[in-house]
Amino acid sequence: MSRFLQQLINGLSIGSVYALMAVGYSLVYSIMNFSNFAHGGVIMLGAYFGYYYLTKLGLPFFVAFMASALTTGILAVVIERGAYKPLRERKAPFLYFIISAMGASIFLENIVIATIGPTFKSYPEILSRTPIQLGSVTLGRIDLTMFIISAICLALLVFFIDFTKMGKAIQATSYSVKASALMGINTDLVIIVVFALGGFFAGIAGVLFGMKYTVYPQIGIITNKSFIAAVFGGLGSLPGAVVGSILLGIIETMTSGYLSSNYRDLIAFALLIAVLVIRPSGLMGKVTEDKA
Amino acid sequence: MYKKTLALLLVSLMILTMAFTGCSKPETETAAPAEEIIKVGWMGSLTGDQAVWGQCELDTVKMLFEEINAKGGVLGKQLEVIGYDTKGDPQEAVNVAKRLTGQDKVVAILGPNASGNAIPIAPVLEQAKVPDIATVATNPKVTVLDGKVKPYNFRVCFIDPYQGAVAAGYAIEVLGFKKAAILYDVADDYSQGLTQFFEEFFVSKGGTIVAKEAFKFGDVDFRPQLSKIKDAAPEVLFLPIFFKEAALIANQARELGITVPLMGGDGLPSEQLFTMAKDAVQGTYIVNHVDYDDPEVQDLKNRYKTKYNKELELNGYLVHDAVVVFVDALERAGVADSVKITEALETTNVKGVTGQITISKETHNPEGKDAAIVKIEGDRYVFQQKYSAK
Repeated sequence: MSRFLQQLINGLSIGSVYALMAVGYSLVYSIMNFSNFAHGGVIMLGAYFGYYYLTKLGLPFFVAFMASALTTGILAVVIERGAYKPLRERKAPFLYFIISAMGASIFLENIVIATIGPTFKSYPEILSRTPIQLGSVTLGRIDLTMFIISAICLALLVFFIDFTKMGKAIQATSYSVKASALMGINTDLVIIVVFALGGFFAGIAGVLFGMKYTVYPQIGIITNKSFIAAVFGGLGSLPGAVVGSILLGIIETMTSGYLSSNYRDLIAFALLIAVLVIRPSGLMGKVTEDKA
Repeated sequence: MYKKTLALLLVSLMILTMAFTGCSKPETETAAPAEEIIKVGWMGSLTGDQAVWGQCELDTVKMLFEEINAKGGVLGKQLEVIGYDTKGDPQEAVNVAKRLTGQDKVVAILGPNASGNAIPIAPVLEQAKVPDIATVATNPKVTVLDGKVKPYNFRVCFIDPYQGAVAAGYAIEVLGFKKAAILYDVADDYSQGLTQFFEEFFVSKGGTIVAKEAFKFGDVDFRPQLSKIKDAAPEVLFLPIFFKEAALIANQARELGITVPLMGGDGLPSEQLFTMAKDAVQGTYIVNHVDYDDPEVQDLKNRYKTKYNKELELNGYLVHDAVVVFVDALERAGVADSVKITEALETTNVKGVTGQITISKETHNPEGKDAAIVKIEGDRYVFQQKYSAK
C-alpha cells in the first residue's frame, strides 16, 4: 500500500509539472484554435530568466519568481505580435500558425544555445532537498511547493476568468471571435491578455522546472507531454488541462512503477489514442455537435 | 507587377539560403598555403547534452595543434583541424563523417567521444579509407564487430567489458557490496553495454542484482524507477550513464531517501556534476581513464587552464592522447596519406597522459590500460587506486 501511495505521490508530482505547462497551451488554444508550439520555448526562457534574476541580480526568491513570470508574459506577447498577428491580419490558414509557432520554438532554443551556451545551469538551493517523511511515503519539498503554487495560480486564474470583466470577454472571444468583436469587445486586447497570461504561467512553470530539475536549452521538448495532456483533458478547457495532466502523470508513474519503464510512453499514448477515438473532445472538452 | 518581382526575388533568396543551410560552418584554423597543410578532422557534440565534453575536446585539439605548428609542424607541414558538430546524434555523425572524408578530404578523424556516434560511421570510413581515432568511445563494437576488426576504427581508451568488470570487481572485492541496483538508459549503446558487462561480472563473483531499472534518454524524472530501487534495498546503485541524467538521478534519489553510495563509469566524471548535484553525489565511486592528480598530467591541465580559463574535462586528456597517437603514426608513415597512416596506427606504441598506449593489431584497442578508481569528495575526484579486473 505504501508503495502505491509513494508512486501516487510521484505521479502527482510529475502531473503538476505537466499541469502548469498545459494550462498555458489550453488558454491559447481556447481563443486562437491553434496549438502554440512556441510555448515550450517560453517555458525554457522562464527557467533561464529565473536563474539569472536569482544568481546574477541576486534578487530574493519571491521577487525573482514574479519577475521571471512577468518577463515571460511580456515575451509571449512579443511573440504573438511578431509571429502570429501578421498571419491573423492576412487571414492565413491555420497551418501557417503552426509553422510559425514551430519556427519560433526552434528560434528560441537556438538563440539560447548560440548566446548562453548549452551547458546546464543549476538553481541555487532555495528549498532544502531533504524530503518530508509522511509515514513511509517521502515527499519532496519542491514538489509540495509546486502543488501549492500550481493550486494558487489555477485558483486565481479561475477567479479571473469567471468573475472579472476581462475574464468574461475572454470567455466570449473563445466562443466566437467575430461575434465578440461585433458586440464591441476589443478582441485584439483579449488576445494580448490571453498570451500574457499564458506566458506568465509559462514563466512560473519554467522557474519551478528549473528548480526541480535543471536548466538547459532543450527544456521545451518536455512540453510535448503537456500538450498531449492538454488534448487528453480536452483542449480549450482549463480544468481539463489540469485533470488531463495529473492523470497522465499518474498513469505514466504507475506504468513505470508496476510494469516497466519501457512501457511508459507506449501505454500513455495508447490511452490517449483510445480517449480521442471514444471521446474526441477529450475528457472535459466541450462536446460540440451540430444540433439539428 | 512590382509585387510579383519582389516575391520572385524573395523566393530565390529563400532557395539560395536553404541550399546553404545544408553546409554547416566548420571550425578551421588556417594560415599556410594548401600544400603545406595536413588536414585532420574532428567530430563531436558541440551542442546537446555532451556539448561541454565536445567543446573541451575541440579546444584541446586546437591548443595542441597550435603548439605543434609553432615547433614546425609534422613532416614539415602545418596541422589544421576541421571540426564539425555531431549534435550527439548518430545520423548527424554519419553526415559529418561523409563531409570530412568527401568534401574536406582529411587524412584522419579524431573523435567522436560517444560510442553511439562512433559505431555507425564505420562504413563511411571504409569507403573513404580514412582512419578514425575515437577518444572516449568504450563500447566494444566501435572497433570489433562479430569478431572481425573494423580496419579503419581505432581508439585510445579501454572498452566496456573491461570497464564493467572493473566496476563490478571493485564494488564487490574492495568495497564489499553484495547487492547492487542498476539504473540505465535503454536508448544508448554505451549504457546497455556497460550494464550487461557489470551484471555478468558482478554475478559471476557472487553478487546479486536486486533491481535493474531503465529509462529513456530525454527523461528528467526518475522517481518511479527510484522508488522501486529503494524498495529493493541495494547496497550500491550503479549508474552506467552520462552525467546529466546521473546528476538528476542523484538529486532525486536523495530526495526519496536513498542513501547508498553511487557508482558509475566514464560517462560520469564532469565538472557539470558539481554544478548540478554537488551534495547528492558525495562519496560516489567512478571508473575513470585517468587520475586527475597524477603529476604527469598536471602540465596539460595547466596549459589548458591558462589558455581557456576552464577546468580540463576527461575528454581533453583522451583527445590529447589521440593527437599523440596520430602524430606518431603520421611521422612513421612519412607521408600524409590516410591508408599509410592507418597501417602505421596498427603498430602504435606511445606514451600518452593516460598511460602507455599499445594498439593491438587484432582489435585496434589499446592493450592493458589500467583504470583509475576515483571517489567524489567535495568538488574533486580523489584518486583511490589503480584497479585491473581479473
